[in-house]
Amino acid sequence: MGDGIINAYSDMENRMTATAPTIRVRNLSKSFGAAEVLKDISVDFQEGTVTSLLGASGSGKSTFLRCLNYLEIPSAGEILIEGVPIGATVCNGTRKLHSPSEVARMRMKLGMVFQSFNLWPHMTVLGNVIEAPMRVLGLPRKEAVEIGRQFLAKVNLTDKESAYPARLSGGQQQRVAIARALAMQPKVMLFDEATSALDPELTGEVLEVMRGLAAEGTTMIVVTHEMRFAREVSDRVLFLHGGAIEEEGPPEQIFGSPKSERCRRFVSTVMN
Amino acid sequence: MLDRLKDSLDLSVFWEYRVILLSGFGQNLSIFLLAGILATAIAFLIGAARLNRNWFIRTGALGYSEFFRNTPEYVLLVWVYYIMPILLTNLLKTRFDLSPYAAAVLALGVAYSGFMAETVRAGLLSVPKGHVEAALALGMSRRAILFRIVMPQAVRRMLPEALNQYVSLFKATSIVSLIAVEDIMYRVSMVNVDQMRPLPLYTGAALFYCLIIITASQIIQRLTNGWRVRGWA
Amino acid sequence: MIDNLNRFVFANIDSLLNGLWVTVYVCFWGLLLAVALGLVMCLVRLYVPVLRYVAIAYIEFCRATPILVQLLWVNYVWPDLFGFPSSVVGAGIIALALQSSGYLAETFRSGIEGLPKGHVEAGVALGMGPVQIFIRIVLPQVALVMAPSLINQIAVIIKSSTLISVIAIPDLMYEALRIVNQWFEPIEILTSVGLLYFILIFAISMTANQLAQFFNRKLGLVA
Repeated sequence: MGDGIINAYSDMENRMTATAPTIRVRNLSKSFGAAEVLKDISVDFQEGTVTSLLGASGSGKSTFLRCLNYLEIPSAGEILIEGVPIGATVCNGTRKLHSPSEVARMRMKLGMVFQSFNLWPHMTVLGNVIEAPMRVLGLPRKEAVEIGRQFLAKVNLTDKESAYPARLSGGQQQRVAIARALAMQPKVMLFDEATSALDPELTGEVLEVMRGLAAEGTTMIVVTHEMRFAREVSDRVLFLHGGAIEEEGPPEQIFGSPKSERCRRFVSTVMN
Repeated sequence: MLDRLKDSLDLSVFWEYRVILLSGFGQNLSIFLLAGILATAIAFLIGAARLNRNWFIRTGALGYSEFFRNTPEYVLLVWVYYIMPILLTNLLKTRFDLSPYAAAVLALGVAYSGFMAETVRAGLLSVPKGHVEAALALGMSRRAILFRIVMPQAVRRMLPEALNQYVSLFKATSIVSLIAVEDIMYRVSMVNVDQMRPLPLYTGAALFYCLIIITASQIIQRLTNGWRVRGWA
Repeated sequence: MIDNLNRFVFANIDSLLNGLWVTVYVCFWGLLLAVALGLVMCLVRLYVPVLRYVAIAYIEFCRATPILVQLLWVNYVWPDLFGFPSSVVGAGIIALALQSSGYLAETFRSGIEGLPKGHVEAGVALGMGPVQIFIRIVLPQVALVMAPSLINQIAVIIKSSTLISVIAIPDLMYEALRIVNQWFEPIEILTSVGLLYFILIFAISMTANQLAQFFNRKLGLVA
């Protein structure tokens, strides 16, 4: 019996270290005034996985993503990045809000790519990419430039490093935005409808970069309408409806044989 | 009437007294520059305060800018000239005199700080929220965001309107003659007393201002159009 | 200080109210003249082929010269040059009108040009004549869009009217300065008069703002 207990403990230990989620969300709720946008969501995100968030407009997927890096402040629940809470610590039911600098420090672990790119127009492409490594990580300029160039090369925009964002196409701007987020070498990359604002012929180049990142084993959470990308690249798909996770599972399940009726209807409408 | 018209446009008297008149104009210019600097400095403080998280600071700034935008400059000028010395004398317990020049700079600077504060506020607000969010998402501190992301863009965006405000300020410096600052209008009336030729003198003064303001406005128009085309402002 | 308030402000309340009346009088007629001149100049600029350059010169002149300079010019030069105005009050009214007519002409122009062409085209397609289109379609919309700017100009005129005291028009500012020079006690008088001007002008520009917001919200018009 002694053996059994020791085995049980080491099993538990193994399970804990082997499957410690990079992001753990517990009972996340968010209301805007009277409207409840996220209802008590609990979900884990494992390292190295690509998770796609699907759902109709208003289902809360963007809000969920923005809660992860505390750009939206949850009404209830907590979010743990590598075991450390972001934004607020919940202790015996009371929430203790973190200071802005604490939140900023946690945000360094997450990289976000926005639908509207949000490149800073008064800085060059390279300037955009090295700004955060220099200001936030405190890297000296030479080092930041090296890292910046490395990631610009990754998104195939080395030749544009001294251009200003206004001169670039949408697809190019979004790739710069991805390089900017990558330059901070975050643990998780968050994509908030990264291709929705792009003309159709430009989405390809961005999706290609995202596929490349996925193939390298980057942990990604992607809110998207690009169903082909979701099906081909994700390890797991979450289907949101009305602020809750209606269904979750591997792409084969969500796209092939969804269990919920709403999910089935959504997938069939969008795939046509 | 035709010979009267000729008399009005006979600017030889203007030319004759050009040294005196131009040195008067120098007063207008220097008051304009100093008041402009004062107005801009205050405007940044108040404009930023309008967006502060604290309700009291926000409302105080709003009160400040509404008060100075809705009070006539001449009233402020007279008030500062007559009453500031009395207040300061009582406050500092020593005799304090405010020269007309200083009163003019102070009054005009403060008067236009109200307008410029609005311009600053509009400029700060016009920076897209997404740019700030991107900076936040990268973990930048609020201070870094203000100085590296918001300010550079806000200043460029507020420049066209600010330049228009400066032109208005320059026009407003014409009233300093009313508290005996020896500016161009003061000198014009002095010369009139001497020469008794109001037609060319006052017409000349009007045309002079006209020329300067229209030229300045045209230059500003060209500049801001160029900026807009290049996506700067 | 309350005692002083009584002595200087309330004792002289009669002459101050007279001054206020003169201010209102001059501003009222100045505004009327400004609207008339502004409208004429705007229409000439937009629709009359050769004279439009005169209109443009007029508008630029009115906007580029400071009000004080215009005031002195109208008061000292015009009687000799044009034969009128024959009184300082007339000069004040004309000068205020000149200043605002330039700004109003531009306001009218942006209002008229800002009207979506489609509205006029719809009228034409329905067979309406140009005058009818102007009166029934263009003018009402333009008038609504410009109302806030117009009200703002009232505030500007009142602010500029403080200067008409310089040519000895007995307005509010004139009376206030007269009392100050008489008694050498400027604090109560100037502060009271200053606050009065502020309250008046603030009320007017608040109205303009509320109106603009109202039009924007209810009718989707942007000033």
